[in-house]
Amino acid sequence: MDKHLLDVAPLTDSSNRFGNLSSNLLYPESEDEVVDIVTKANESGKKLSIVSGGTKLGYGGLKSNYDLTLSLKKFSGIVEHTVGDMTVTVKPGTTILELQTFLSRYNQMVSLDPSCPSTATIGGTIAANESGPKRLKYGSARDHVIGMRVVYADGKIIRTGGKVVKNVAGYDMNKLFIGSMGTLGVITEITLKLRPIPKHTSLVMLTVREEALDELTAFTKLIQDSLLEPVSLEILTPTMSKKLINRDEYCLLIALEDVKKAVQFQEVWIDQHKPNEAVMTVHPNPNYFWQSFNELIPNSLTDLGESTHGVLKVGTRNLDVFPLLQECARIHHEGNLKIEASGGAGHGLSTIIISGNNANVVNAIIHLQSFASDLKGYAIVKHLPIELRKELNVWGESDGLFKLFKSIKQKQDPNNTLNEQRFIGGI
Amino acid sequence: MLLSKKKKQKLDPDILALTEIVGAKSILHYKEDLLSYDCDGFTIHKAMPKAVIFPKNTEEVAAAVKYCADRSIPFLARGAGTGLSGGAIPLNNEVIISLVKMKHLLEVDYENRQAVVQPGFVNLKLTNSISHKGYYYAPDPSSQYVCTIGGNVAENAGGAHCLKYGVTTNHILGLEVVLPDGEIIEISNNGVLDMPGYDLLGILTGSEGTLGIVTKIIVRILKNPEAKKTVLAYFDNVEDGSHAVSDIISAGIIPAALEMMDQTAIEGVEKGAFPVGHPDDIEALLLIEVDGIAEGIEEQIEQILTVCRNRNVREVKVARDEEERGRWWANRKTGFGAMGAISPDYLVQDGVIPRSKLPEVLERIRSISDEYGLRIANIFHAGDGNLHPLILFDSRIEGETGKALKAGTACLKACADAGGSITGEHGVGIEKKEEMRFIFSDEEIDAQTAIRDVFNPNNLLNQGKLFPTPSRCMDIKKVIKETAITK
Repeated sequence: MDKHLLDVAPLTDSSNRFGNLSSNLLYPESEDEVVDIVTKANESGKKLSIVSGGTKLGYGGLKSNYDLTLSLKKFSGIVEHTVGDMTVTVKPGTTILELQTFLSRYNQMVSLDPSCPSTATIGGTIAANESGPKRLKYGSARDHVIGMRVVYADGKIIRTGGKVVKNVAGYDMNKLFIGSMGTLGVITEITLKLRPIPKHTSLVMLTVREEALDELTAFTKLIQDSLLEPVSLEILTPTMSKKLINRDEYCLLIALEDVKKAVQFQEVWIDQHKPNEAVMTVHPNPNYFWQSFNELIPNSLTDLGESTHGVLKVGTRNLDVFPLLQECARIHHEGNLKIEASGGAGHGLSTIIISGNNANVVNAIIHLQSFASDLKGYAIVKHLPIELRKELNVWGESDGLFKLFKSIKQKQDPNNTLNEQRFIGGI
Repeated sequence: MLLSKKKKQKLDPDILALTEIVGAKSILHYKEDLLSYDCDGFTIHKAMPKAVIFPKNTEEVAAAVKYCADRSIPFLARGAGTGLSGGAIPLNNEVIISLVKMKHLLEVDYENRQAVVQPGFVNLKLTNSISHKGYYYAPDPSSQYVCTIGGNVAENAGGAHCLKYGVTTNHILGLEVVLPDGEIIEISNNGVLDMPGYDLLGILTGSEGTLGIVTKIIVRILKNPEAKKTVLAYFDNVEDGSHAVSDIISAGIIPAALEMMDQTAIEGVEKGAFPVGHPDDIEALLLIEVDGIAEGIEEQIEQILTVCRNRNVREVKVARDEEERGRWWANRKTGFGAMGAISPDYLVQDGVIPRSKLPEVLERIRSISDEYGLRIANIFHAGDGNLHPLILFDSRIEGETGKALKAGTACLKACADAGGSITGEHGVGIEKKEEMRFIFSDEEIDAQTAIRDVFNPNNLLNQGKLFPTPSRCMDIKKVIKETAITK
């Protein structure tokens, strides 16, 4: 292994609270170096963990120590930006913030709003299929990634997709890697389609007392069935609301993005139709609000271990977000732990932050997994110390599909060189 | 004579067994009944199936698949048969599993914005079934009045309005699939996003019926936009039209649709069933549609009109009413078929290019047209760079079919060389499988066939589609290609 790539940092219990690391950290800065590292590891039977910004070390994974860790952090930057075609090609270690800042000069953006944009990288965001509260209108990585370069476990470089925004040649191999948690290959380049930065943005907040949640639910349905085009319909539990806007009530966040007249029209509509109970505020600085929203979810860089935090990603049908959040509030009221949660009523994905002592956090996770399952949804653990992850099934059950998942992994990485045990069912 | 032949055929144990599974009214196996199944919308290749069966439910599909799999009988699935790349042609004497009897809308959940359909449900019927509540299904291929959603999933179908709303894959929330060994699997059976595990929905959508047979589909439905406005712009110069396309997008507008036709295409549509009265001496027209909140539309229309004027538009107008808008769209959506009015035969191609490369690619297509002595009309989803060159030819003239195929391949090469793709929405099928090499290396093709092996290890399901013949058999490949052309 080339010396200049290697950074030996002995792991201690406190520096390795989340696992998925190794004391041998490698920082390749080119695709050739990635190929070299992966090929040698694969040939010598070494197990490689792949990291990038380091925000998701608490996301899946049953191994504390790998033989080597390949970090893509220094493999960053814009490769190509074709302004007229509205596509950008970028290296995986580029942070979301760097990418969006670069594109904003051209009045363009990648329409993705994952948490911790200042440290999370585009590679990690895609590998974990992260999206944010604007998913309703924005979609997810699977809607924006049009091409990739991926280094397979045996060192082959495979291009998936292409550089055009519409393409059905062959299997849609991009999809295989989005959300695969680095278990099928190392992403070395990503091409994304872009959107113009909206001309005008607004954030309307409606808050109601806990007892009046039903009114907010009914109003959310009314919006969904109206001519409005909300970018987010995110519901906050009172605890989350307290933290973000200092109001101990349920809150509905309605983001609007369009030309100014259309945004203003929608603001007026909401004001005219909102429930009697609700207090409406138009946020003076929506961008600032979303920044703080996206940075508050604990991750392996910000969670320093003063208490135990667990983060869940829950998927349900859109409107099942309401009973789920109510359940979160109920558990919070029991007083053993703190739960802050938000859920998108337009897409059915919720984020739940659980803080407390180890046993209580684990019990709440198990309870919420079964609650989600009763709603015919799922709850996966996005962030938790490794010792607690080992007590849980962080990915939930995969039922009849596991055989296919395993067979896909077997085809692409037969020696389990890449991120062994990181994904569902110990893949 | 006919009777005794029929009796003899009835003795085929496979036919008897399949009849047992689907019932005597749901199987075709006499040669004369099978003739209309020897090709799909790609009519240049033809081959006869062993039988066509019409299962009525998932269990019958699974039983038939299992029967075939256990006996190594090749089989494939077919929807309405409108595919343009030959994906449903029974090259290997397959048993065709037609899904047209599984044609029901099973459930609509407006509050959660999803609908559950069977694969044989016709695309446009979904929108028609939910429009009274103000909802619609976004992917709108030109054949939407007849093509099925199952076929749309197989091909990852697009349409004129996918610039803003995405193609089929962006609207599929869940699938029930019969795997090639007969096992039934459910992927995201409640339509929940981001189910843990590899993205099987993503891999199956657009796999051209080579990984499994879809028997139930959960799709996303959308609320109709409050308002729509449509603009028609005539350009004397095709370059000006291309620049206008880029300028509209650069102005921060994402139109719902942004379509272009060149002079030859205009000649065709004006002689077709839905003429609009386009001038015959313009080089290009743009059809631009903006939708959204009514209050915001006027401003965007003004911007579009300004862009067109800055690019020397000859005439630009906004549709006065729904009737006029409908006429413009009918003229465009029937564009392929309209070529029949100016040419005995035509071959539809389907390349994609980076939008900004349009002028240079159109120039190359012009020289391909000169080189082969065949007229080429261009219908173009300009907003997303999806080009449909229509190669006009006369199959009665000896060798002209072969020439048209070669000209089509040359158009795809031009797209690939410009950094594009060989298909944007019609799929690879048998038509473009060799052209896969224009954009993928052998290793990259192997990476894809490795995924096929996961689902379809014995390659009994829709064999011989999508991927080129292995390169080590270069000579064989050449032979196949030549035979295909002379067919």
